[in-house]
Amino acid sequence: MLFNSYEYLIYFLPITALGYFALGGHARWAVRWLVVASLFFYAWWNPAHLPLIGASILGNYWVARRIQRASSGRPFLIGGVAANLALLGAFKYADFFLRTVSDAGLAPLVQLNLALPLGISFFTFTQIAFLVDVHRRKATEPSFDNYALFVTFFPHLLAGPIIHHSEMMPQFASTTNKRVAWENVGPGLVLLTIGLAKKVFLADPLVPLVAAGFDHAATVGTPEAWIAALAYTLQIYFDFSGYTDMALGAALIFNIRLPINFDSPYRALDLRDFWHRWHITLSRFLREYLYIPLGGNRASEPRVLANLLITFLLGGLWHGAAWTFVCWGALHGVGLCWLRVWSRMGVTLPRSVAWAATFTFVVVTWVFFRAHSLADAEALLRAMTGASTPAATSATGVREALSGLWNAQPAAVLAMLAGLAVVFRRRNSNALVRGASPSWLVAAATATALTVSVLQLSNVAPFLYFNF
Amino acid sequence: MLGAAAAALGLVAAVNATMDPFQQYRLATSHEPRFYALHHRFINPGIATHAAYETALIGSSIMESTPNDIIAAACGGPAVNLSMPAISAAEIRTMLRTVFRTHAPRRVIVVLDFNAFAGLPDERQDSAGPLPSYLYDGNVLNDLPYLLSGTVLRKSISILLGRHDEPFRTDANAPWFWADRMHFGRQEVLRGLDVAHLNARFRQPARTLAGMRASFEHNVVPLLRNHPGTRFDLVWPPYSMLVWLDFAQRDQLDVTLAFKRYVVEVSHALGNTSVVDLQAHAEITTDLDRYMDIYHFGPAVNRWIIERICAGEDRVDPAGVDAYERRLREELARYKAPTARAVQ
Repeated sequence: MLFNSYEYLIYFLPITALGYFALGGHARWAVRWLVVASLFFYAWWNPAHLPLIGASILGNYWVARRIQRASSGRPFLIGGVAANLALLGAFKYADFFLRTVSDAGLAPLVQLNLALPLGISFFTFTQIAFLVDVHRRKATEPSFDNYALFVTFFPHLLAGPIIHHSEMMPQFASTTNKRVAWENVGPGLVLLTIGLAKKVFLADPLVPLVAAGFDHAATVGTPEAWIAALAYTLQIYFDFSGYTDMALGAALIFNIRLPINFDSPYRALDLRDFWHRWHITLSRFLREYLYIPLGGNRASEPRVLANLLITFLLGGLWHGAAWTFVCWGALHGVGLCWLRVWSRMGVTLPRSVAWAATFTFVVVTWVFFRAHSLADAEALLRAMTGASTPAATSATGVREALSGLWNAQPAAVLAMLAGLAVVFRRRNSNALVRGASPSWLVAAATATALTVSVLQLSNVAPFLYFNF
Repeated sequence: MLGAAAAALGLVAAVNATMDPFQQYRLATSHEPRFYALHHRFINPGIATHAAYETALIGSSIMESTPNDIIAAACGGPAVNLSMPAISAAEIRTMLRTVFRTHAPRRVIVVLDFNAFAGLPDERQDSAGPLPSYLYDGNVLNDLPYLLSGTVLRKSISILLGRHDEPFRTDANAPWFWADRMHFGRQEVLRGLDVAHLNARFRQPARTLAGMRASFEHNVVPLLRNHPGTRFDLVWPPYSMLVWLDFAQRDQLDVTLAFKRYVVEVSHALGNTSVVDLQAHAEITTDLDRYMDIYHFGPAVNRWIIERICAGEDRVDPAGVDAYERRLREELARYKAPTARAVQ
C-alpha cells in the first residue's frame, strides 16, 4: 500500500488509528493491533511475501535471544547476520551477480527472477543493527510483540527511515503513547499533508521532464539534458522527503517520533554536509555498522580513504542491484575522499562557490542514479557537456529549448520553479512543523492542502495514441 | 482540520457520484451523455454494466466505428459496442468479465487483433494509458480514484453548468465513432509509407507463437469455457493486404498463420465458439480506397463484417483451415504492392 493512495489515506490510516486508540487501555493489544495492521499494509501489494517477513522477524528474534543468553553470542551473531545478508543477497543481488558473471564470459546466463520483496533492504538492515547491538550488550528486548512492531511498524516499513531500536523501543513500550494526544495528532496531520503535497505538486509533475531526458539519452540536446538532470534532482528529493514526511506524520499520530531523514540537503556546503542532510538514517547506519567497524577515522590516512570508498560503494549497491548505483556510490566515495584531502590542505572556498560546487556534483551524480544503464548515463553526461550536440549550447538553442519546454510542459516548468524556491528559500517541513503553533490558519491551510492533494491523486488519462 | 477535509472530500464524492460523468452508476438520463474523446477505458465499464444488450462486440480501434444499431439489426436484440483503441488480450478479459458479471449475453463478438496477444499475457500497450481496473470490478468501495478525482470534479461541474469545454460525443448509439473525422482512400493509406519497410511507420512488436498461445489461453479460453450458454464469435478482421506484406517483410507471417490455426483448433473443441475469418477477402483487402491506413477500414466494412458474422458466413473449422490459409497465401503472392511512384 502506498502512502499516496486512497486506500491508505481514506481507509487504512483512520481505521488503524481508531483501533489503536480504542485499544489504548490494553497496551499489549494495542501493540498487537498495530502489528497486524502493519502486516496487512505490507501484504496489500503482494501477500506472498508475508511469510518471508514473518520468518525474518521470528528468526532474528530467536537469534537475539540466543545471543543474549549465551556466554559468547558471537557464533549466533555471525550466523544471524549471514542469514540476513543471504536473504537480501538472494532476492536483491543474485541476478545482478549472475548477470555480471555471465557478462564477464565466466558462465552462461542464469537468472533466478525472484520478485523483490518490498522493503527487504530496510527490514534487513534494521534487524542486523539490532543483532549487533544485542551482541554489544547495548540492546535487549524481552517482548516479542514490541520487537515485531519495531520491525513492521508501517510508517517506516517500506522506505524507512531506518530506525534504531534505542530510539523506538521505549516509545513502543510506553503505555501513555497508546492514548490520543492531540498535540501530536495535529502536527502529524500537518506533516503528512506537507509530504503528500510535495509528492503530488512538486515531484510527480516533473516526471515528463525527467523521462524526456533519461528515456532519450542518446539523442537529447544540452539544455534538455540539464533540465532532465535538474528535474530529477528535485523529483527524487520531493518524492523521497515527501514520503518520509508522510511516514513521520503518520507515526506522530500514533505518538511515535521517527528520526528525521532530510534536512535541506541541497543547501549543503560540501559533500560531508550533504550526507549529514540526505537520507540521514542511512548515513547513520553506514557509519555505525560499516564505516566504524572497518576502522573509521582511527586508521592510517590511506586506510581511512579506503574505508570511505568501501562504505559508499556498498551504500550505492544498497540502493539497487545495478552498476549505475555502484558508480553513483563510487563517485560519492571519491568525492568524500577528495574533500578529506582538500580539507587537510586548509583551503576554504567562499560559501557560494562551495554550495555551487556541491550542488553541481550532486546533480551530475544523480545522472548515474537515474539512468537506465551506464551507457545512457554517459550519453546524458556528454549531452550536458555539449559534446554530443554543440549547436544546442548556443544562446538561440537554449532559448528555443526553454520556450519549447514551457509550451509543452507548463505544469512541469512551474513545478520545477516552485521546487527550486522551496529547496533554496523555504524552511524545510520539519522546521515548519516544529515552529508552527496551533491556529485556525494552520488548520485551514492544512485542510485545504490535504483536500486539494487528495483530489490530485488519481490520474484520469485518456488514450495517448491519437494517430492510431 | 480533519473534519473540514473530510467534509470537503465527501462533498466532492457526492457531486461526482451524482453527476457521474463516466456513467459508472447509471446511464446518463438527466443530461446528455458525454463520451469524452479517448476516454474509452473509463466509460466503457459503465456502459457494459448499465446498458441493456443481448449482443456485445469488443475489439480494437478498427471496430469503434460500428454503431450499436447496426449490430442489433444484423444479430437481433439490443447490442453494445465496447471496443477500445490498442486493446490488449488482458483488457478483453477484464472488459468481458464486467459484461458477464452484470449480464448474460446471448452472443459475444470478439474481433481479434494479433498485437493484442504480443508480449506477456498481462501486457498492455504503453499508448493505452492507465487502465482504471477499479471501475471494472463492481466494488464501489474502491471507486475513490473516480469519486475523489479533481479531473472528474471538473467534468461534473462542466455538466452541471452546461459548459462544453472539451471534446465529447453525445450519441449513445455510436459513442466512439471516429470514421466521420478521418479521410479514407488509397492516397491516405500510402501517405508517408515506405512500402519496402512497412513496419518503419507502424512499429508493431515482434510476436512469438508460444507467447501468443499463452496469452490466448490465459485471457480468452477461460471466458469461452466458463460461459457455455453464450455464443462466441472470434473474428479475424480484413486488414489491408499491406499488413500481410508487412508480416512477410518482418518474418512474422508463419507465426501469425500458425496462431490462427491454433485458435481454430482450440475454439472448435469448446462447442460454443466459432472462428470467423475475413482476411482472405481480396475484394476488400486489396482495395485501399476502403482504408485510412493499412489497418483501419471505413464504416462500410464495419457493417459488412457484422453482417457476415451474424449471417454465419466465413466460419472456419479445423477441416477448412488449410484452405483458408492457402487462399490467403495465394492472394498475398498475387498482390502487387503499390510502387514507390504511387506512394509519392
